[in-house]
Amino acid sequence: MRIRWLATLFLILALALAACGGDTGGESSQPSEPQQEQTSQTAETKSEEPAEESTSQQEESTATESGAEKVTLRVMVVDYIKDKTDVWLENEVVPAFQKEHPNIDVEFIYVNWGTLDETVQGYFAAGEGADIINLGSEYIAAYGDRLAPLNEYLGEEAWPDIKQFVPASLDTVTWKGELRGLPWLTAPRAYMCRSDLLAEIGFEQPPSTFPEAIEEARAGTIIEDGALKRAGIVTTGRLDDWQEYIALIWSLGGELYKENGEPAFDSPQARDALAFMYERRRAVYPDETIADLPEATGSRLADGTAVCMWGNLWGAPPVDDPLWEQISFSPGLTDPDNYPESRPVVQVFNDWLAVPAYSKNVPEAAEFLKFLGSAENLNRYNKDFGSFPPRRDAWFGYVEEAKPMQIMGDLMNEYGRGFADIRETAKFREILQREMSAYFTDLQDLDTTLSNIQSAYTQVLQDAGMIQ
Amino acid sequence: MLESYGYTLVWSVGTVVFIIASSVALGWIARLIVRWRGGSTIHQQNAFAGYAFAAPWIVGFVIFVLAPVVASLYWSFTVYRLPNPPQWVGVQNYVRLLTDDPNFRAALVNTFYFVLFGLPAQLVVALLLAILLNQKLHGERFFRTAFYLPVILGLNAAVLLSWVLMFNANNGFINTLLRTLSKKSTLFNLLLRAFIYVNESLNAFFLGVQSGNFTLFEKTISAFPAAHRVPLWLQSPLWTKTSIVLLLVWSCGSMMLIYLAALNSIPPEFYEAAEVDGATRWQRFWKITLPLISPATFYNLIVGMIAIIQMFEQPYVLLRDSPTVAQSSYTVVFYLWRATFRFNEIGYGAAISWILTLIILVITYFQFRLQDRWVQYDLR
Repeated sequence: MRIRWLATLFLILALALAACGGDTGGESSQPSEPQQEQTSQTAETKSEEPAEESTSQQEESTATESGAEKVTLRVMVVDYIKDKTDVWLENEVVPAFQKEHPNIDVEFIYVNWGTLDETVQGYFAAGEGADIINLGSEYIAAYGDRLAPLNEYLGEEAWPDIKQFVPASLDTVTWKGELRGLPWLTAPRAYMCRSDLLAEIGFEQPPSTFPEAIEEARAGTIIEDGALKRAGIVTTGRLDDWQEYIALIWSLGGELYKENGEPAFDSPQARDALAFMYERRRAVYPDETIADLPEATGSRLADGTAVCMWGNLWGAPPVDDPLWEQISFSPGLTDPDNYPESRPVVQVFNDWLAVPAYSKNVPEAAEFLKFLGSAENLNRYNKDFGSFPPRRDAWFGYVEEAKPMQIMGDLMNEYGRGFADIRETAKFREILQREMSAYFTDLQDLDTTLSNIQSAYTQVLQDAGMIQ
Repeated sequence: MLESYGYTLVWSVGTVVFIIASSVALGWIARLIVRWRGGSTIHQQNAFAGYAFAAPWIVGFVIFVLAPVVASLYWSFTVYRLPNPPQWVGVQNYVRLLTDDPNFRAALVNTFYFVLFGLPAQLVVALLLAILLNQKLHGERFFRTAFYLPVILGLNAAVLLSWVLMFNANNGFINTLLRTLSKKSTLFNLLLRAFIYVNESLNAFFLGVQSGNFTLFEKTISAFPAAHRVPLWLQSPLWTKTSIVLLLVWSCGSMMLIYLAALNSIPPEFYEAAEVDGATRWQRFWKITLPLISPATFYNLIVGMIAIIQMFEQPYVLLRDSPTVAQSSYTVVFYLWRATFRFNEIGYGAAISWILTLIILVITYFQFRLQDRWVQYDLR
C-alpha cells in the first residue's frame, strides 16, 4: 500500500519536474525550431557580448513581428499626472501602438520620484523588472552601464527622426558613445514672479542679482502669528533645494568637479552660493521657528502665497491661464559685484526613457520608444506639464501659442545648461540635503558644512572608483 | 495570457509536489536515523509521521529563513554590489560601521530615542486606555474598536497622508487646535510653550549627540519660546522624532488589548479584600493591578522594543516628501534599507542587519535576566 502511494507520488513529482523543465527551455516551447534555439543560446552570452545580443534580439524581433510570440512590455513611469497622463497613455497611446504592433501588449507601472531610486535598484538587483524605465536628467552616470545600447534601433540610420531631437537632450541619454534611452520631457527652470505683487513691494522687475533676491524675499514675505502667509520666494522645500544650489554655483562660474574629478566644494563659488541661500532663507524665515506655508492645492503663484518661485512650469499656473499676463520671468541670479563674469543659468532637466540591459524585449521596447517619441505624442504628453518636447518638430500648438512657453524657450536657448553628469547622484543628493539642512537649521556653520560636503563626496567618489 | 496562467499552474503544482516530496524525504531520513539507533518499529513509524508532518515548516524555515540568514552573514563580510559578485573583505564593513560612519551613529541615536521615549509613551497610553475600557462604561465596544482601529488600518498611504495633513505646521488640524486653545487660555499657552521648550531642547541635545556639535542645543535652551509658537511637526528636525513618537502612541491598540486581557484576568476578590482593608484606589492600582499585570507589561515591553528597533515605515512614509529633514529621523532599519536598496551596498546592509540583531539579542537577554526582579507570574 505504502509502495503504491510512493510510486504515485513519484509520478506526480516526475510530471511536475518535466513540466518545469519544459518551461525553462526558455522562451522556446518547441525546441526543435532552430531560430528559437539560437535565441536561447544568445541569452546565455548576454553579459559578455552585447553586440551579439543585439543581433539576436533583432532576429527575435523579426520573429515577433511575424506574429510568432506575444510580448508584454512593462513601462515604469515617474513623470505623470494622475488621471491625465495615465489615461492618455492607456486609452490612446497603447491602442494606437497596438494597431501597428498587435503582438505587443503594454502595461504601465506608476511610481513617484521619492521611490524611484529603490524601485530601479530593485529591478537591477533582481535582473528583472520593467522593460522601459523613466529616469531623471542626472541618471546616466549611475545606470549607463546597465542600460541597453540603442544606437541600432534609435541611431540616425535606423530612425531618422532622432535628428529632430535637441542635441543637448541626446547628450543626457548618451553613455560611452551609445544612446541608452530617449528623452521625453524637457523642463527648464527659471525665476517667475507675480508682477502685481512685485509692484506692491516696490520692485519693477524680478530680481536678477543676489542682493536684489534677498531684498525681494524679505519685502515679499508676510508672517502672521508665527506662520508664513506669503513667501517672497519659494523653491522646492524650504529654500533648501540642492538642485538650485548647483545652478547657483554654475551661475557664479563654478563647477561641481575639478579637472582631476575631485569635488569642488572648496571653491569660492560653492561657498558664496551656499551663503547666499542661507541669507535668502533668513529673509523669508527670520528663524527656524516660523511655520511653513500651508499645503499647496495648486500653483503658489496663482493663489498668491508666493511672490516669486524658482522652478519649471510644472508648479506654475496652466500655460493658457490669463494670470500669465501678470507673471514676469528672470533667467536666474548672478553676483556681478563679486563675480563680474557670472551669468544666469537656466537649469534644463531632460527626463528620459531607457531600456535596462536585463530586458528580454529590447527590440519591442525600442519600437515603443519610437512610437512614443513621435512629434505628435511628445507634444501631447508635454502639454500637460508645461514642459518642452525634446524634439524640435514637436514645438507646435501650445509651444508656439502660449506666452510662457515662448519666454521659457528663449531663456532656455540663451541660458540653458543641462542638469547632467552628476556623479553618484543618490549619495550626492543625500550628502547635500543632510549638510544643507544642518547649516540652515544652525546646527553647524558654513565652513563645517562645506568641509563636510567636500570630504563626504570625495569619499563617495573614491568608493565608486571615480577618483583615486 | 494563457502562457502566464500555465506558468503559474506549473509552479503551483511543482511547489505542492516539492512540499510533499520533501516531507516524505525528511520523514524517511528521521526513520532511518531511528532505525540506525536501534529504535523499535513503532518508534520508527512515529518518527516518520512526526517529521513528515513537521517538514513543511522545517523546509520553509530552511529555505526562507536559515539560508538567507547564512547568506547575509557571509555577505556582511563582503563588498557586494549587484550585478558584481561579492568580494571578501573580512570585517571591513563592521569596522567602517562602528568607527567611520557618522550616519550609522546618527541612526543608532535616533533608534535609541524612539525606544527611550516612544516605548514608555506607548506602554503608558495603552495601559491608560485599557484601564478606562475596563471600567465597563457605556459604549465600551465602540471605544475598544476605535482604539484598536489604528492597528487594523496600519500605516497605509491614506492614513499617513492624513497624518501629514494633520501635522502641517501652518494650518494642520493639530496646530489649528493648539493655536485656538492657546489663544483662549493663558495657562494652556504657557504649558504649550513649556512643552515646546522641553521638546526642542531634548531634540537639539540628541542632534548634538549625533553630530558632535551642541551649538543648536545651546541656542535652544537659551530662549523660552515666544507666545505664538506652535510645534513644527514635520518641518523641523527638532520635531520629526516627536511626530513619529506620536504616531507610535496612536498605534498602541495591540498593547492595549494585551493589557485589557491581563486586567480581566485579575480576580475581583483581590480588590474586594483590599477595599475591606481600607486601601485607596491608587493603592489598589499600585499594589494589586500593576504587579499582577506585570507579565503583560513584560510582553509588551519585549515585543514593543523589538518593533521599535525594527521600525521603518513611519519615518519612510511620513517624511519621504521632506527629504531635508528626513535624515533627522533615520532609524537603523531605514539606514539598512537605504544602504541596500538605494545605494546597492548589499554587503554593508547585511553588516548593519547583523549589528541590529546583536543589539536586539543583548537587550532582550538582559530584560529576561532582570524579569525576576519585577515580573509577577504567580497569582497566589
